[in-house]
Amino acid sequence: MGNRLLSSLILTAAMSATAQAADTKVIHVMHQGDPAGVAAIGAVAKAFEAENPGVDVETIYAPHDAYNEKFSAAVMANQLPDVMELDAPFLANYVWSGYLQPIKPLIDKDVLDDMTNSNIVQGTYPVDKDLYAIGLTDSTVVLYGNRKYLEEIGARIPTSVDDAWTREEFEGYLEKLSKLDGVKWPIDTFRGYGIKTEWITYAYGPILQSSGCDLIDRTTWKSAGTLDADACVEALTMMQTWVKNGWVVPQSAGTNQFYAENNPAALALGGHWFYAEAAAAMKDDIVVMPLPKFGAKGASPNGTWIWAVTKTSEHPDVAGKFVSFMLKDKEYRTFIASKSGYPGLKSFAAESPLYAAGGAMAIAYEQASKTAIARPPYPAYPTITSAFMQAVDEAFNGGDPKAALTAAAEKIDEDIEDNDGYPPFGDQQ
Amino acid sequence: MNMQQSPVPSLAKQKRPARSKSDRGRLLQEASMLAPAVLLLTLFLIVPFFLSFWTAMTNQPLVPRPTPLRFIWFTNFVRIFHDDLFWTALWNVSRFTFWILPVQCGLAFATALLLHQKMPFRNLLRGMFFLPAITSMVVVCVIWGTLFQYPTGPFNQILGFVSGGYIQPIDWLGDPEWAMFSIVLLSAWQAYGFQMIVYLAGLQGIPDELYDAARIDGANAVQRFWHVTMPGLRPTHVFVLLITTIQAFKLYTQVAILTQGGPKSSTETVVHYMVRAGFEEQKMGYASAVSVILFVIVLIIALVQRQLLRRFDV
Repeated sequence: MGNRLLSSLILTAAMSATAQAADTKVIHVMHQGDPAGVAAIGAVAKAFEAENPGVDVETIYAPHDAYNEKFSAAVMANQLPDVMELDAPFLANYVWSGYLQPIKPLIDKDVLDDMTNSNIVQGTYPVDKDLYAIGLTDSTVVLYGNRKYLEEIGARIPTSVDDAWTREEFEGYLEKLSKLDGVKWPIDTFRGYGIKTEWITYAYGPILQSSGCDLIDRTTWKSAGTLDADACVEALTMMQTWVKNGWVVPQSAGTNQFYAENNPAALALGGHWFYAEAAAAMKDDIVVMPLPKFGAKGASPNGTWIWAVTKTSEHPDVAGKFVSFMLKDKEYRTFIASKSGYPGLKSFAAESPLYAAGGAMAIAYEQASKTAIARPPYPAYPTITSAFMQAVDEAFNGGDPKAALTAAAEKIDEDIEDNDGYPPFGDQQ
Repeated sequence: MNMQQSPVPSLAKQKRPARSKSDRGRLLQEASMLAPAVLLLTLFLIVPFFLSFWTAMTNQPLVPRPTPLRFIWFTNFVRIFHDDLFWTALWNVSRFTFWILPVQCGLAFATALLLHQKMPFRNLLRGMFFLPAITSMVVVCVIWGTLFQYPTGPFNQILGFVSGGYIQPIDWLGDPEWAMFSIVLLSAWQAYGFQMIVYLAGLQGIPDELYDAARIDGANAVQRFWHVTMPGLRPTHVFVLLITTIQAFKLYTQVAILTQGGPKSSTETVVHYMVRAGFEEQKMGYASAVSVILFVIVLIIALVQRQLLRRFDV
């Protein structure tokens, strides 16, 4: 009796499963994000399913800091998702390895026409100049200041990217702030994000570039002679000195010292996303400034998490439709805007007064067209960023910057050599 | 030492009559019962083990790449031995082992002695002392990460309060001088429960008659401890020492969660180095070479330890 019940249950379950498989298209969407972001993507998936009967969207969450490891695991198990979120500097590696397909034919034309230049650049593979990924957003890093403290030391407050602080001004202010009552640390550079995080390459790389060097030579694709050149050593030594002087919030003190009670940190070299939480606590006391000019020219980062369709997808058309749907979804846009999301689509920029002329983050938006430099679009990027993180940790804790950068450059070049120069990158010249 | 040997081998040797039909049938039966275990062990333990030797001599990437797979002999090993970071990692693991052996085994031994006494709520207490060991290391790390916070975490506040503000806050996990020590503290606390159970079992294995005889001979408590308990625990000591050393060399989780090898590589460990090479930099061949080296090191240490302890008549 019990047995018969059980077997009939199994039978119905099996039947409904096959019935579902027959006329349902399933797409898997791999993504990262904080709990609110995960919920937002879940809501998009539901809305998409409601509008497209016969489509089943399954979201797969992978944590931010281990995202690439999780993706590699998916590759090895031959279980690539259909749609995947990826960090822009890793795009070259993924396309070179053959995981992604050109996305232009799959995305609605109005969305493609809506992309900002910087958004197009971050989704383009430099070898075939084709578009492989698209995002609603872009990103940048700015210098946040505490208005009260800045007024107390009589600092000049830049109003445009062109009159950013020079290195002398910046370091002079840091010194003055360090002696000011109530300031425990003159600046937070968000060491609290950890030492194994893309933040390091993303936010500190532009300091090297502004000082006149780079992570790797972008024509010969060699790191030795560039990353260990005097300009880079000088830049890393400069940052090391800030840390040595006790000017920088230490790693273990967290990431909220800028807006925590009594504002222990006076400045914050923070991502655009930091504005939402800081402004919530500090209201009008927050000043948004461009990144300082450490050398002849200014530099700022760009690139963020963008969406791509994998080569192995069985339903690339549905996958593309989902991406288009998500980027246009009203509620998803509202959510991203609530996180002070940095617009990567023109229509989204129009909906974001924060970044428009006169908005609090207008300077952040100005940086995109004036100083933004993408991280090297090169398949060796995973090694480049890992080696640079190692060097920065070494230097910030008192190690010799020259030795640390030399070791990093060697490691990067070794990886390139191991991969025969990542053809066709090597044969371009 | 023969006294402690297990009785199984002698039983097996008992008698071996000429092979008969029923004997062959029995062999077949034994073989068929062994087969699943042997097959699974071969497939998931022995084959991968030898595969890693092979992979270590190639430029195998983590995931398929357009570059061809090449046999590169010992290039990976040469590179590892030329990498300062590898030596730092090895040195760190040795430091960790050197500290954790006395702390963890001492703690485990002391609690085992305490909980071996006849006292009320003994079983309840045993369970409580074992609790950290069944708590996930990840959870322990997150909790201890909060305790270690700088400058206002609970540990620093307690230190400041007890010393009347004399001791400045310590950056437990952010100071290269302190980071490894902090990891030792939390690791010992999390894992000592296992060694404690082993010691408890060892203590229970010492026959009461020996204690009674010692008492009749007029031995006091200290003498009974040194001349009955300690000799009776020798095999346990060997086991605990070996297993703790091997575990210490495989230090990874705590480091991956709390310090990611920093600050200034002061908590970089061999396994963390291996994972970084294999999964972040996607060099599977290189990572396999590290794993082979780690295997050899652990094997040598285990053999040396056994020999040393045997010399002390264990």
